[in-house]
Amino acid sequence: MAALVAGQVSVDPAEFTQVKYDANEIAAIVGSLAETLGVSNSISLVVDETTLLAKITCSIDAPSSDATILINAMSGAIENTKHLTTLGVNQTQTSVGRMLLRARDRMRADFAGAGADDDLTLAESAAWDTYCAGRLARAGIEINTQRWRYNHRNRFGFSNAGDADFERLWAADELSWSEVVAGIADI
Amino acid sequence: MRQFFPVEDLARDERFVQTNMAERLADTRNPMEPASNRKSAKSRSAGNRLTPDRPDASDRARGLMHGIMVGEIQALEGAGRTAHDFEAGDGSGDTIPFELKLDMARQAWDEARHVEISAKLGDWMGTELGEFQENTVLFEAACSNDPVLRLAGVNRALEGLAIDVFTQMKEFGDLAGDPYLEFCEDWMLADEVTHVKMGSDWLRKVTEKDPDRRTKALEFQQVVDKLFSFGGARGDHEESSFKLARRFRELAGFTDDENDTINKLGVDAFNERSQAVKQAQDAASAFADA
Repeated sequence: MAALVAGQVSVDPAEFTQVKYDANEIAAIVGSLAETLGVSNSISLVVDETTLLAKITCSIDAPSSDATILINAMSGAIENTKHLTTLGVNQTQTSVGRMLLRARDRMRADFAGAGADDDLTLAESAAWDTYCAGRLARAGIEINTQRWRYNHRNRFGFSNAGDADFERLWAADELSWSEVVAGIADI
Repeated sequence: MRQFFPVEDLARDERFVQTNMAERLADTRNPMEPASNRKSAKSRSAGNRLTPDRPDASDRARGLMHGIMVGEIQALEGAGRTAHDFEAGDGSGDTIPFELKLDMARQAWDEARHVEISAKLGDWMGTELGEFQENTVLFEAACSNDPVLRLAGVNRALEGLAIDVFTQMKEFGDLAGDPYLEFCEDWMLADEVTHVKMGSDWLRKVTEKDPDRRTKALEFQQVVDKLFSFGGARGDHEESSFKLARRFRELAGFTDDENDTINKLGVDAFNERSQAVKQAQDAASAFADA
């Protein structure tokens, strides 16, 4: 099944059979989200509808500002948790939004040290998620701060030091990779 | 006051969206982590168990905690209905001993406390009330017209599942270092063991002179236990999400044979679900190739 291409966004598959997702709707949400976040790159989103798990990863095809952003999502990553097998707008914004910000970070020279998504440690991934979710919230995306605080605590400890690291990342913009993961040394 | 409430009439506000087991099992996506995605076969996170070293640990824990909370609401409703729906008597026919009513009232009180605790844990974990779909399978097990079937379905099967889930959640909180989660689950687990023990004791007592009724109740419990295996998510096998908490089950009155049977039901359910998922995946692949 060929991918649907709408503007700067392509969604694969173009037609879903195991979930009630609409590739046009996904492309519209992602396109609008990219505009909100100021991401003008081409985006390729591949959804694995054979699994209900929620893993999502991204990469860029070159470390340059005009790179194509490649996002691989399991269907649960963009699912409406109130109505299973249907698309969730906020879930899509939250999951894909984090990936768009990660991809934009990867285009910066000071993120050259960041490993591929599948090679990140759990703590590195959690720190980056906190940094991304905070920026999404400031961009106007509906984000439950406590969800990400809990995720951060699970990786950095249920402690004042862990919470302070969360607040540092949540409020930040324009960090380098070494600044994103600076709190790991304190675990 | 009205007796015998059907599941459709449960009172929920607009935040909650309900589903049932048939709808859940109609979802043909694979619920298990593909082996190819696991970093190490020896890792604790290699399987489907909820452990802190899973990449999706906190979100899985949030979803499970929400499931526990709505389960507590339904357990409260079920115990309350059983305390009210049947007249006090000697246990024959549609009557239940008055002391059984008292135990059901006590259980309803416990479950109300569990709802409050679970809702607060949801806040702590960053989950909104109604964020996840509510599966009404728990209350459906509490809708039988025979009080003995309710004891089997709710107190032994449902609360037995709670023992397994709470044990795992407590372990998750302990390993993650979450002080509230581990503490709260431990306290609720103690109550659940008591609820199962009440069900085990009353089931034996009420059916003491009616072996056919006891057999039917235990058969009903097996049906519910298989449903509560959620397609094989519970059991001792490696692919299961929840392990049977055999020691706590023993304390609650389950025999080794009964636990073995529940484990086998889980394996059967897993195999059936795997077959159904495979057929659906094959059909989807054929569509994609067309």
